[in-house]
Amino acid sequence: MFLKQYLIPRLIQYVLVILLGITAVFFIPRLLPNDPVLRTIAEMRARGAYLEPGAMDKIISDLQQMYGLEGSWFDQYLAFWGRLFRGDLGVSFFQFPTPVLDLIMTALPWTVGLLLTTTLLSWAIGNLIGGFAGYYADRSWSRTLDAIAMVVRPLPYYIFAFALLLLFAYLLRWFPVSGGARLGMRPSWTWPFIQSVLWHSVLPALSIFILSAAAWFQTMKLVVQNVNAESFVAYAKLSGVQESRIVSRYVIRNALLPQITGLGLSLGLIFSGALITEIVYSYPGLGTLLYNAIVNGDYNLIMGITIFSIIAITTSVLIVDLMYPFFDPRIRYM
Amino acid sequence: MGDAILRAEALRAFYALDIYGKTKIIQAVNDVDLEIRENEVYGIAGESGCGKSTLLKALAAAIEPPLRLMGGKVVYRVNGAEIDVATLSQEEKRRLRMTYIAYVPQGSMSVLNPVMRIRDTYRDFIESHLDVRQKGEAFALAREHLVELGLPPKILDAYPHQLSGGMRQRVTIALATLLKPRIIIGDEPTTALDVVVQRGVVQLLRDVQSRLKNTIVLVTHDMGVHANIADRIGIMYAGKIVEEASAERIFGAPTHPYTRYLIDSLPRFGDKTPRESVPGSPPSLANPPSGCPFHPRCPHAMEICKREMPGFTRVAPDHRVACWLVGEGSYGKAA
Repeated sequence: MFLKQYLIPRLIQYVLVILLGITAVFFIPRLLPNDPVLRTIAEMRARGAYLEPGAMDKIISDLQQMYGLEGSWFDQYLAFWGRLFRGDLGVSFFQFPTPVLDLIMTALPWTVGLLLTTTLLSWAIGNLIGGFAGYYADRSWSRTLDAIAMVVRPLPYYIFAFALLLLFAYLLRWFPVSGGARLGMRPSWTWPFIQSVLWHSVLPALSIFILSAAAWFQTMKLVVQNVNAESFVAYAKLSGVQESRIVSRYVIRNALLPQITGLGLSLGLIFSGALITEIVYSYPGLGTLLYNAIVNGDYNLIMGITIFSIIAITTSVLIVDLMYPFFDPRIRYM
Repeated sequence: MGDAILRAEALRAFYALDIYGKTKIIQAVNDVDLEIRENEVYGIAGESGCGKSTLLKALAAAIEPPLRLMGGKVVYRVNGAEIDVATLSQEEKRRLRMTYIAYVPQGSMSVLNPVMRIRDTYRDFIESHLDVRQKGEAFALAREHLVELGLPPKILDAYPHQLSGGMRQRVTIALATLLKPRIIIGDEPTTALDVVVQRGVVQLLRDVQSRLKNTIVLVTHDMGVHANIADRIGIMYAGKIVEEASAERIFGAPTHPYTRYLIDSLPRFGDKTPRESVPGSPPSLANPPSGCPFHPRCPHAMEICKREMPGFTRVAPDHRVACWLVGEGSYGKAA
């Protein structure tokens, strides 16, 4: 029943969303009024290169081939899928001739390492503290935390990130100013390298962690205060159930349900990178890569990153959907 | 009928609400004297917003901000010794719950934790009070109790949303009475249930009471439920008890004008004349009328009613009324 009525339609929907998303990624650049081929040639001309007409045609056809712009849109579309299934996302133009996949794979570990850790940690800690602060809403420590969160959360991220950078890297010099590891170090599984990575990631991670933990804290506190007013909590209290059980198994357990959906969505967003973090801290990652790709009109790279991001978001939403009945027995997929 | 097991003396419990910097006092329970006896069903009746549920909270020793105890006391008699509830610590009060005084909430969708099986709710409630070393023991106890009350033990494996409203309420009552409490406090336990289910729930409460020989304090605005189950009834109006008598006398010889209105508004078989309800609406408890709080709605109001609250007059053994029409009240002033 579950398989036929829910899982298979849900998987078909999942595949369809990805197909449609990637199709949009294919068509949108082609609908834009600038032609990457002509643009490249204009750039070459601007640099003063003189091209013979024959050489020009050759360059145009080479560029069209590299961009996958040969033939009608339909031919291009088929060829596009063909290459995609072979794992070929084309070559980057702004870092010619590195394949897009290689660029993404170099940036991905940095982004995932930083964002996965901060997303999970801020979710866990923000919700835990928010849960207790919501349950003990009239205690002074809870009010203090609430006041801090109220000040911190609306801070614009770039200002907050810069403030941390100025204070801890520039004035106090506790942490490095920029980069993902010490310059000149080759990525490897050796202790000095790992140490350097951790060291460099403290400030970027802290900046993301504090702001998103404050956001989780605030929403969790509100949800908990609503759950607190539910009659099953009042009933448990009036029946003398131990407070530790009420907080964990009655209040926080129920309040976590909407937060789990939120976690799924923010995990999917990881693959779009954290642009401002990466710019402020000159941190290598998908955000900077995407930014450079956009600035340089590197269509293959933009498409490659977008495809990753589409797959990541749809997959994490799918996982949350499938996991949800384990957290909330009222949700049933017949 | 035995001795008093639960007493309230000049009990005053007010809500202090902070509204835009101004403190608003809601006099929800204002000078209530009650004596509830062992092995009886005591009903508290009155319109919505008259302080019934607040009185119940005070009796259950569950006064929490914004509700505050402003005066008077609640006394339990536990194993022959009288205990002023205000002297108990939080932990001592917690230990009395379910074992000495149990609470049956209003029947609603969310009375049981929606993400846990009934079995786990039972286990939490039991393990909070008994030292159950083995996991199976709590479960066996619950199973045994359900069978005693005629409920199918397999409902322990269900989630709350899989049960009907009536079944959920029965499960709740079974849970509340699991540890054989001396007092059961019911806050509108039959409200929000249809009449057929209501009957079953009332029957279950009666069964439990006759089995445990304990006391039930039942709050409901439904006079039909009171007629069905209560031995004695207290009529509450604007935070005060205005009349108290056995159920037969409340229904047969209501004395206070408010009680008369309540009884007269009930439908009777064969009688097709329109029922008269109480004129007007209940007073605001933030700013109750002077004197007898019922005087603005009372057809018999006299000058003195506007100035002074009468004390209780005993119109019969075990029947007391606070009304100037009956007497000025020498016994136990209500104001």
